Amino acid sequence: MPNDADYENRRVSLQSLAMPLILAGVWTFFAFANQQFLSPRNLSMLMIELSVTATLAIGMLLIIVCGHIDLSAGSGVGLLGGIAAVLLFHGHWPSLAALGLAMCAGIALWSLMGLAIVRLKIQAFIITLGGLLIFKGLFWLVIRSSTVPVMGGEQANLYSLLTTWYVPERIAFVGLAVVTAAITWVSLRDRAVRNEAGLPVDSMELIALKTLVTFQTLLLAVLICNLYRGLPLSFLILCIVGLVVDLVVRHTPFGRYLYAIGGNEEAALACGVPVSRTVITAFSIMGAVVALTGFMQTAYAGASTTSVGDLMELDAIAACVIGGASLKGGRGSVLGALMGGLIMASLLNGMTLLAVAPEIKLIVRGAVLVVAVLLDVRFRQES
Amino acid sequence: MTPVPVLSTEKITKTFGSVAAIKEVSFDVRPGEVHALCGENGAGKSTLMKVFSGQHPFGTYEGVVRVGGKTARFRDVRDSEEHGIAVVHQELSLIDSLTVAENIALGKFPRRGWRIDWPATSALAEQTLSRSRVPISPEAKVSDLGVGQQQLIEFARALAKNPRILILDEPTAALTGEEIHALLEEVRSLRTRKVACIYISHKLDEVKKVADRITVLRDGSSVTTRAADSLPIAEIIKHMVGREIKDIYPARGESKQGDRLLEVRDLHAESPFDHHVALKGVSLSVHAGEVLGIGGLMGAGRSELLMHIYGIWGVTRRGEVIVEGAPYFPRMPSESIRRGMMLVTENRKRFGLVPRESVHRNLSLSSIHAVAPHGKIDHVAERTRNGEMLEKLQFRALSADSQARQLSGGNQQKVVLGRGLLTDPRIVLLDEPTRGVDVGARREIYEEIKRLANEGKAVVVVSSDLSELIGVSDRIVMMNEGTTMRSFNAAEFNQDQLMAAALGK
Repeated sequence: MPNDADYENRRVSLQSLAMPLILAGVWTFFAFANQQFLSPRNLSMLMIELSVTATLAIGMLLIIVCGHIDLSAGSGVGLLGGIAAVLLFHGHWPSLAALGLAMCAGIALWSLMGLAIVRLKIQAFIITLGGLLIFKGLFWLVIRSSTVPVMGGEQANLYSLLTTWYVPERIAFVGLAVVTAAITWVSLRDRAVRNEAGLPVDSMELIALKTLVTFQTLLLAVLICNLYRGLPLSFLILCIVGLVVDLVVRHTPFGRYLYAIGGNEEAALACGVPVSRTVITAFSIMGAVVALTGFMQTAYAGASTTSVGDLMELDAIAACVIGGASLKGGRGSVLGALMGGLIMASLLNGMTLLAVAPEIKLIVRGAVLVVAVLLDVRFRQES
Repeated sequence: MTPVPVLSTEKITKTFGSVAAIKEVSFDVRPGEVHALCGENGAGKSTLMKVFSGQHPFGTYEGVVRVGGKTARFRDVRDSEEHGIAVVHQELSLIDSLTVAENIALGKFPRRGWRIDWPATSALAEQTLSRSRVPISPEAKVSDLGVGQQQLIEFARALAKNPRILILDEPTAALTGEEIHALLEEVRSLRTRKVACIYISHKLDEVKKVADRITVLRDGSSVTTRAADSLPIAEIIKHMVGREIKDIYPARGESKQGDRLLEVRDLHAESPFDHHVALKGVSLSVHAGEVLGIGGLMGAGRSELLMHIYGIWGVTRRGEVIVEGAPYFPRMPSESIRRGMMLVTENRKRFGLVPRESVHRNLSLSSIHAVAPHGKIDHVAERTRNGEMLEKLQFRALSADSQARQLSGGNQQKVVLGRGLLTDPRIVLLDEPTRGVDVGARREIYEEIKRLANEGKAVVVVSSDLSELIGVSDRIVMMNEGTTMRSFNAAEFNQDQLMAAALGK
């Protein structure tokens, strides 16, 4: 859906071509290093891993755009996934109730952190650093530092299905057709309305090209997935989270406020922006996203163990920054975070496939983070 | 025979992309003279200064720069300083959390071994300040000083570099009355020290007072260079805008006053941080259709008054604010906007704009809900509405999609004004509405003020410029040390009496 940002940031979007190129480089390297990398099975796995990383990154985007940061996300992923697993396995709760309660806990905890940041005027870095430690401790208490499976018996449930259920082939194709039709319809209608108001519009060719590229990308994803078991459920969750957050940041007053607060908080306040409410809301959405990520990550691991969620906050922050978000706030996009997430997930997946030692994996992730921030600084100086 | 100029340029051209910011500008400064540089925003003054200061190093421009007759190729700012050029920028560069002495010594702390020699640091500061007769304690923290004092420190700091040429960029923009006087005195005294000075200012009466020669830039070209004595202000303006502006202030019409929209009774307020009591008994009222001017010296509490009523400064200790007949307890700007107020702040950079956001998004910030009927922004309605507002304010930047920070002062001010007006206010509070705004845009802002009053809004204008206050106001209230002095009707406007009131007499 073309919106103002597309017309405003045409120059920036050229810049974003760098990301697909980096991604292509990473993929080419792994494809040559290991034949298995491009196999349908591995690409399906990568898609699930992407779902986990990118969902968290998209939540993190909301926090980063308004000039804050969330270091507690990784611990939260473990804690909230662990709460749901314990309720399910030890408490014999129905899966939906267990997930629901854990999600409510996530929203409540993150709202509290948001409240502390705006009311006590303590930097998000400090509050969420506290959160990181506290949630990690709570997590280990909740699971008693043991392994808690996400299945109560042999019977699969909603929780375990998050990363093991796949959309059947035929439904995926129907869905693809519906999505393509919807994109076409919305962009054509939007163009007509803008045209009528005498505003600049994309040419028909450009709209056709954009739609075609989107369609082909999705088609390719569906075809590859269908070669294995189909489209993973977690990927659908990522798509929905991405779509909702994208809508929110580009088309609602709340989204405008986020960017304004990140750009100049004092001015935003003086312009009548409800700064406190906006920041708290961003954090409570983050709480829900952390919970969702926690469920997917724990389900992917098959059980809640003490290491679930480790360092995931850093992957999420790195994904946002690689995707063009500024840690000073005021800049960033969902598409960027998605691309950044894909680069981070591809790196991890490829390195695991090559049986790279965990030590080296950490070093590479760290290096990528530093290089990404370096790029961020460089970009800011240029613009 | 004229002496060898200390600084001269020959056909300097500097382009950004395909746009020439300055075109073949030739310019020279003679030893010991004060050479004023005038021009509207965007005329190329800053670009020329950056060539002199080394911010645009040799190789990024065409033409020749000479210092003392010899061709100079500045690599960077330091290189330019070594050639004896010192710049006092419009934007203050002091570090708030340090003391005056620390700021002065920054980068060249006297040492004793590996430690900082604090007594020597104080002595250095003392010496620097005394040389330019600035009555400020070196131990004072910069954050406790007013903008005017900070400006004087910058001035002293630049002089301490023993420059041959001192460049002053809008040195009096933030100063009032006494302080301006003191600074102009300093500039005049440069002559006896054989320091040449390039003086950039929008305030033409100051330029006339202090300059030996005046050069006017327009659209990147040097239009004229003449002795100050032979160039009347009206002619400077004509050169600057390329057309004649007969009267910068719109004609005073019959003001039709309606209901009392805003009233302040015996207001006392203080800052919650340092408990500085800036308002000590302020009483005034503004009616629909009226322009109330508020004057006074720096630190008289004018800005604090507007910011307090709007809810971004201070806590009320006594007295009350009455908005359209009902008491109002200012706490949040969002509330004030709902009650029909808008504020154009004096500090545009801090409170006025989100610098990296587009003009368009800045304009919408206070009123986005009006174009998001069901929570989703109607981009088309928003564009159309904002476009009409920009047209009404005669906004002249390339596009509504440029970033706010890239605009000239005049255009920025129009964005701030437009953003407020889109909230459909009834009470319009304007704090130094023409600061950093060039002559052409200034006139348009005055016209807008008149129009707002005619539409039945209550307008409050705070200004340090007495002639501006007299030009736009229907009534003027002078403030002195946090209290309102007497109020003057249009018939009683008289610079001397207003000034006396500002001084508390």
